[in-house]
Amino acid sequence: MKKTYFQPIQIGFIFGAVNVFLVLIGFNAMVASLLAKALGEQVLTALPPFPYLAAFTILLGLWCGIAAARKSSRARIAGNVLAGWLSGLAAGSVTFVFCVGIGWLLSNKIDIRNYLTVLSFDFINGVLMGLPPLVGALANLGILAAAGAVGGLLYGFIQSSKVKQINQPILALTCSTTEKLKRLDHGRRRLAFQILGVAIAGAVVIFLPLNWGSYWNYVAGTVGLYVILGLGLNLIVGLSGQLVLGYIAFFAIGAYTMALLNSPLPYNLMWGFWPALVLGVIFAALAGLLLGLPLMRLRGDYLAIVTLGFGEIIRILLKSDVLTDFSGGPRGIQNISGPTLFGRPFNSDIDFMYLIAISVALAAFVYNRLQHSRPGRAWLSIREDETAARACGVNTTRYKLLALALGAAFAGLAGAIYASRNQFTGPEEHSLMASINVLSLIIVGGLGNIPGTILGAFALKGLPEILREFSNYRLLTFGALLVVMMLSRPEGLIPSKRPKYKTPQEADGRNAEEKNVS
Amino acid sequence: MKAARIFVVLMFMFMMMTACNAAPAAAEPNSPGSVTEVSGSDSATTSPDAAAGTPEICSTDAHGCAVFKPGDVVKIGMGAPMTGGDASYGFDISQGGTIAVQDSGEFEGFKFVLVVEDDGGTAEGGAAVANKFASDPALVAVAGHIYSGATSAAIPIYEKAGIVMLSPSASLPTLTTLGSAVFNRIVFTDARQGPPAAEYLFNKLNVRKLAVLHDGSDYGKGLAETVAAKFTELGGEVVITEAITKGETDYTPVLSAVAAKNPESVYFGGYTAEGAVIVNQMKQTGLENAIFFGDDGTYGADFLSRTGANGEGAFATIAPIPADSPEKAAFDAAYLEQFGKEAGTLSPYTWNGYDSVSALIAAVKSVAVVGNDGNLYVPRGALISAVRNLTDFHGISGTYTCDAVGECNTLPPTFVMVKDGAWVPAP
Amino acid sequence: MNETLPISIARKGANVLKYLRPVFGAVILIFIIYRLIQTLLIQEIFGPETWTRLVIAGMIIGSVYALIAIGYTLVYGILFMINFAHGEVMMLGAYTCFFVFEALKNIKVGADHSLAFSNAYPVISIIIAFILGMSVSALTGFLLEKVAYRPLRQAPRLVPLISAIGASIFLQNAAQLLFSPQLRDVANPQILARGSGWKFLINGSSVTIPYTGVFTFLLSLILLVSLYLIVQKTKFGRAMRAVALDKKTASLMGIDVDKTISLTFLISGALAGAAGVMWGLHNSMVYYFTGFVPGIKAFTAAVLGGIGNLPGAMLGGLFLGIIESVGPAALGIDFQLKDVIAFLLLIVVLTFRPSGLLGEVLAKEKV
Repeated sequence: MKKTYFQPIQIGFIFGAVNVFLVLIGFNAMVASLLAKALGEQVLTALPPFPYLAAFTILLGLWCGIAAARKSSRARIAGNVLAGWLSGLAAGSVTFVFCVGIGWLLSNKIDIRNYLTVLSFDFINGVLMGLPPLVGALANLGILAAAGAVGGLLYGFIQSSKVKQINQPILALTCSTTEKLKRLDHGRRRLAFQILGVAIAGAVVIFLPLNWGSYWNYVAGTVGLYVILGLGLNLIVGLSGQLVLGYIAFFAIGAYTMALLNSPLPYNLMWGFWPALVLGVIFAALAGLLLGLPLMRLRGDYLAIVTLGFGEIIRILLKSDVLTDFSGGPRGIQNISGPTLFGRPFNSDIDFMYLIAISVALAAFVYNRLQHSRPGRAWLSIREDETAARACGVNTTRYKLLALALGAAFAGLAGAIYASRNQFTGPEEHSLMASINVLSLIIVGGLGNIPGTILGAFALKGLPEILREFSNYRLLTFGALLVVMMLSRPEGLIPSKRPKYKTPQEADGRNAEEKNVS
Repeated sequence: MKAARIFVVLMFMFMMMTACNAAPAAAEPNSPGSVTEVSGSDSATTSPDAAAGTPEICSTDAHGCAVFKPGDVVKIGMGAPMTGGDASYGFDISQGGTIAVQDSGEFEGFKFVLVVEDDGGTAEGGAAVANKFASDPALVAVAGHIYSGATSAAIPIYEKAGIVMLSPSASLPTLTTLGSAVFNRIVFTDARQGPPAAEYLFNKLNVRKLAVLHDGSDYGKGLAETVAAKFTELGGEVVITEAITKGETDYTPVLSAVAAKNPESVYFGGYTAEGAVIVNQMKQTGLENAIFFGDDGTYGADFLSRTGANGEGAFATIAPIPADSPEKAAFDAAYLEQFGKEAGTLSPYTWNGYDSVSALIAAVKSVAVVGNDGNLYVPRGALISAVRNLTDFHGISGTYTCDAVGECNTLPPTFVMVKDGAWVPAP
Repeated sequence: MNETLPISIARKGANVLKYLRPVFGAVILIFIIYRLIQTLLIQEIFGPETWTRLVIAGMIIGSVYALIAIGYTLVYGILFMINFAHGEVMMLGAYTCFFVFEALKNIKVGADHSLAFSNAYPVISIIIAFILGMSVSALTGFLLEKVAYRPLRQAPRLVPLISAIGASIFLQNAAQLLFSPQLRDVANPQILARGSGWKFLINGSSVTIPYTGVFTFLLSLILLVSLYLIVQKTKFGRAMRAVALDKKTASLMGIDVDKTISLTFLISGALAGAAGVMWGLHNSMVYYFTGFVPGIKAFTAAVLGGIGNLPGAMLGGLFLGIIESVGPAALGIDFQLKDVIAFLLLIVVLTFRPSGLLGEVLAKEKV
C-alpha cells in the first residue's frame, strides 16, 4: 500500500530536481529553440517563444508520468494514470518551489547572473511563461501534473491489450525476419550474404562521398580514422588485455612524421605523402616497441597510468621550448602538403574519404587476420589469464610487445593521414582526452570486434557532430549518453563473441546436435 | 555472421548520416560564377526567375554570389571553443559578436545573425566547423577562428569555398605569411608589440637584467621570443627564460628560480589568468622589487580585480585605443545588461570579438546589392577584397587598416600601467 | 617456421629485455647524479632560500594531491575501478568554497554593518565552508556511485571506467553551464589572505611560508591520519577492508556490501571536497576545469605509492608534489617540463617496483 504512493512520488521528486537542473543550465531554452526550428519558426534571439518553453515542460512531465507508471506496473489504466499524476505532482511541487524562488528574484530585480549564468530576467520571465511569479509557478505545477497524468494514461494505453493485439503481428514479423537473417548466416547462403553485404558497403563507400558534401565527408573521414585507431587499440586492449591510456602518443608520432617530412617549415624536406606515411607507421611501431620493453612486467592499471604518463610526456615535449626548433612548439606545423597519386594531386575531401575508406578496409583486414592467427590466440590466452598462458609456454612478454607495436603502427597510419588531411598538426591535438576518446569508443562499441569498433567510432566521433544542434550542450549530452550507454549495454553496443576452440570430440557432438535441430 | 553485422552497422551509419544530412545536402556552393540560392525549404536549385534578377557582378565574381530571398537572414560564422578548458574565450568573444550583430542593424530589410559553432580550439574541430560553414550557402563570412590551431586547419577549407575570415584573436605569425587570400585578423600580434616593449623596458625603465616568462601558448611564446631577441639586441641581458604551464595556480617554484637570477623586471607573454597569479606570487618569492611587464592579453579590468594592491606598478602594451570612447562605454553597458558580467572578465578579447563581427558586417553591407527581383546578392569575391582593403575602420578596441597580407592592427602600441588601482597611460 | 618476421623481432627484443632493465636504471641514475652535481656543486645556481621556497611549494601542493589520491585509492581498493570523475567531485567542493565565501562576504555584521561576516568570524566561516564543501562533494560521490557505478558492479572491468569518464565530462560541462566558464577568485577571510604568511630571512632574502599553505598542509595531515585510524581501528574500517578483500565472503559474514561501498564513496567524496575547499583557499582560482589536472596528478600519486594503499597514497602525493617543484631546479631543466619529470619518475619507479613504492595493501588479489 505504501509503495503504491511512495514510489511515483519519489520518481517525481527526481524528475523535479532534473527539471530544475535543466532549467538552471538553460537546457529548456535550447530544446524549445529546436522545437521551434523543427516547426519552421525562425528563432533569432536566444530565448524562444513561451509556448515552446512550455512544450519542454510538457515533454518532461510526459516522460515523468510514463516512467512512474512503468515502475508501478499497475494492471489497470486508472492505476497508471494515478501513478503518473502523483509523480507529475511531485515533480511539479519541486518546480513550484524553484519557480517561486526565481519569481522572487524577478520581482525584486535581483540579478544573480554572476553566479548562475542563465538567470536573466527575460529567461525567468520565460520560465514563468510571462505570468506573475506565483501564477507562473502554479502554471508550471499544473502543466507537470497534467502531463504526468497524461503520461500515465499513455503508458497504460500502450500496455492495454488492444494495443498489444495490434502489436502482435508487427512483433511476429520482426521476430521472423531476425530469425531468417540469423539462419542466413549459416550454411551455403552465408557466402551470398557476405558478397551482398560487401557489395552494398562498397557501393555506399564509393558513391556517398561524391554526393554528401564536404562537411559529411569530413565527419565520416574522422570517424574512419578513429576506426583505425580503435582497431589498433583493440589489438592491445581488446585482444591482449593490456590497458593503455596514452595511445594517442603513437598517433602523434605518425602525425608529426608526416608533418615534418611534408611541410615547408621547419625543414622543407617535402618527401611526399607516401614515404612519409610508411615512415610514420614504422616510427610509431618502433615507439611502441621502445615503450614496451621496460614496461612489460606491469599489469592492469599500472600499465594504464604509465602509458598515460608516456602520452603526456610526448605532448609536453612537443609543446616545450626544448623541442621548438624541431617540432614547432606550441605553434604546431602548418601547410602540410597532401598526397599525390600518379603525379596528380589527390587531396580533395572526396579523395581523402576514399583513402581513409581503403585504409579502414586494410586495417580491418589485418586485424581480422591477426585475430585468428597464432599471435591472436596467444593474445587471447594472455588476456584470459597471463600466468596460465605463461605456464602453457606462451612467451607473454614477446606477444605483449608485438601487440603494442602493431597497435602503435595502426595509430601511426591514422595519424599520418590525419595530419595530411588537416594540413596542420599541433601538440594540443594529442591530449589525454583524445586517448580517452579512443578507449571509450572501443568499449562503447564492444571490446574486441570490428563492427563494434565501427559503431563505437561512429558513436564517439559522429555523435558529437550530430549533437551540434544542441550547441553548447553537446558535450553535456554526450557525457550523459556515455553513462547511459554503459548502463544499458555494459558489454558494448555489439558484444564480442568469445571465439570457441573445440576439441574434435566436442566439435563432432556439436555437429550432431545441429543436425538434429535442423 | 560477421558480414551480417558489418552490413547492419553500415546501413545504420548510412541512414543516420543521410538523415542528418537532409538539410545541408543541397550545399556545395560557390563554384566560380555560380549562383546559389538560400532558403529554409528544400527548393535550393536556381530558378530561372532568380537568374533573371541576378546582378551583373555575380557572373563575374570569382566565387559567385550568395543569394538571399526576402526574409532570409545573412549568417556570419564564428568557430570558437565553447566546451573544454578554454571555453571562456569562446563564450566571451561570441558574446561580444552577438552585441555587434544587434548594433549593426539590418541591410535593406535583411537581418544578420551570428552562428557560433564549437571547435574546441583544436585543428580537428576547426576543420569540422569550417566544413560545416562552407556547406552553408547562407554563410558569407567568418569571424574567427579563435585559436590558431583551429584557424590553421580551417583556412584551406574557407579558401576553397571563398569565405572571408577576420579573426579576433588568432595570433600565430605564419597564418598571414602563407599567402592566404581570405584570412585577415585584427588581433594585436607579437611583431607589433614585442620590439616596442623591449625598447620601452630598456630605454624608459632602464632595465638591464630581464627575466622572460611565457605561458607556452603560441601567442605568449612568440611574444616572449620577440621581446627577448630585441632586448638582447639593445644590449640588455636576458637572465632567464622560463615557460609556465597554462591553467595552473601555483607558479612559486618557477618564480623562485627566476628570483634567484635577480632580474630587474619580469616580462610575461600570456593571458590575464596566469599573469595575475604571477603578479600575486612575485611578492612571495623574492621578486618584490621587479617590475611586471605584460601584454595586451594581461591587460584588462580583470587583472586589476585579481591582483589588487599587488598589481600596482605593473605595465602592459595594448593596441592604441581611444581612451574610453562612448562606443566602448555603450558596449560595456550592453554587455553587462545582457550577460550579467563586466566585459573583459571572461577573456581580454571581448572587444575584438565585437570589432571583428561589426567590421565584417560593414564589409558585407558595402558589397551587397539588391537585385531587381528583391533578392539580396552578396558577391563573395568582392567581399574578400573588401575586407582585405579595410581602411580606418573605427572599432572599440582600435582603428583597423588591413595590409596586403591581412594584418589589420598595424599601429604601434601604447603603454599603460597600473596606478592607484586603475590602468593609466604610462609616462 | 611458422613465425612471422615481427614475432622474431619481438623475440629478440624480449631476450634483450633481461639486460635492459639494469642498463636503463644505470643510465638514469648516472644522468640524475650528473645533473645534481652540475646544479648543486659546480654551478650553484640556486641559493638555500630558493631551495626552501621550492620545498615549501612542493609540500603544499603535494598535500592536496595526497588528499585527492586517498579518494582514488579508497575506491580502487574496494571496487578495482578508477573513479575518473573524482577530480570533478573535488571541483564541486572548490565551487562550494567559492560560493560560501562569496555569500559570507556579502553578509554584513558589526555595529555599522560594514564588516563582512567572513572577516568578523573567520574561523566559523572556514568551518562552514569545509562542512558545506565536504557535504556537497560527499553527496556527489554518493550519487555518482548510485547512478553510474552500482549497476555496473558485475560488468567487465573497463565498463565502469567509461561510465566514470562519461560522468566526468557531464559534471564538467554541467558546472560550466551552471556557473559560466569564468575563472573565480575565492574571497578569503583576512586572516587567511593569500600571499601573506610568516616571513623570515635566508641569505638576506625573505622567504614566505603562506598561512593558507600551512593550513592546507596541517589539515591534510589531520584528515589523512584520522582516515587511516578509521580504516584500521573502527568496525566500519574493518568492514571496508573485508569488502575490499572478498565481497562475497564479506556479505556472508553479515556485512552490508552496498552500504559499505556507499560509505566509501561518501568518505572519498568528502576528502575530495576538503581538498577542493583548500584549493579554493590556497590557489583561489576556481573554474569548471579545476579538477581535471589535479585529478590526473593525484591518480598518478596514488599509483606511485601503490594503489589501494593509504599511506602509499599519502607518500605518493607528497613525493609527487615535491618532485614537481624541486625536480626541474635540481636537474637544471625547464620548469615547463616538470610533468615530464614527474611522469618519467613514475615510469622509473614502476619499472623497478611494479606495484608502487609501498605496494598494495588494502586488497591482495586483482581481477
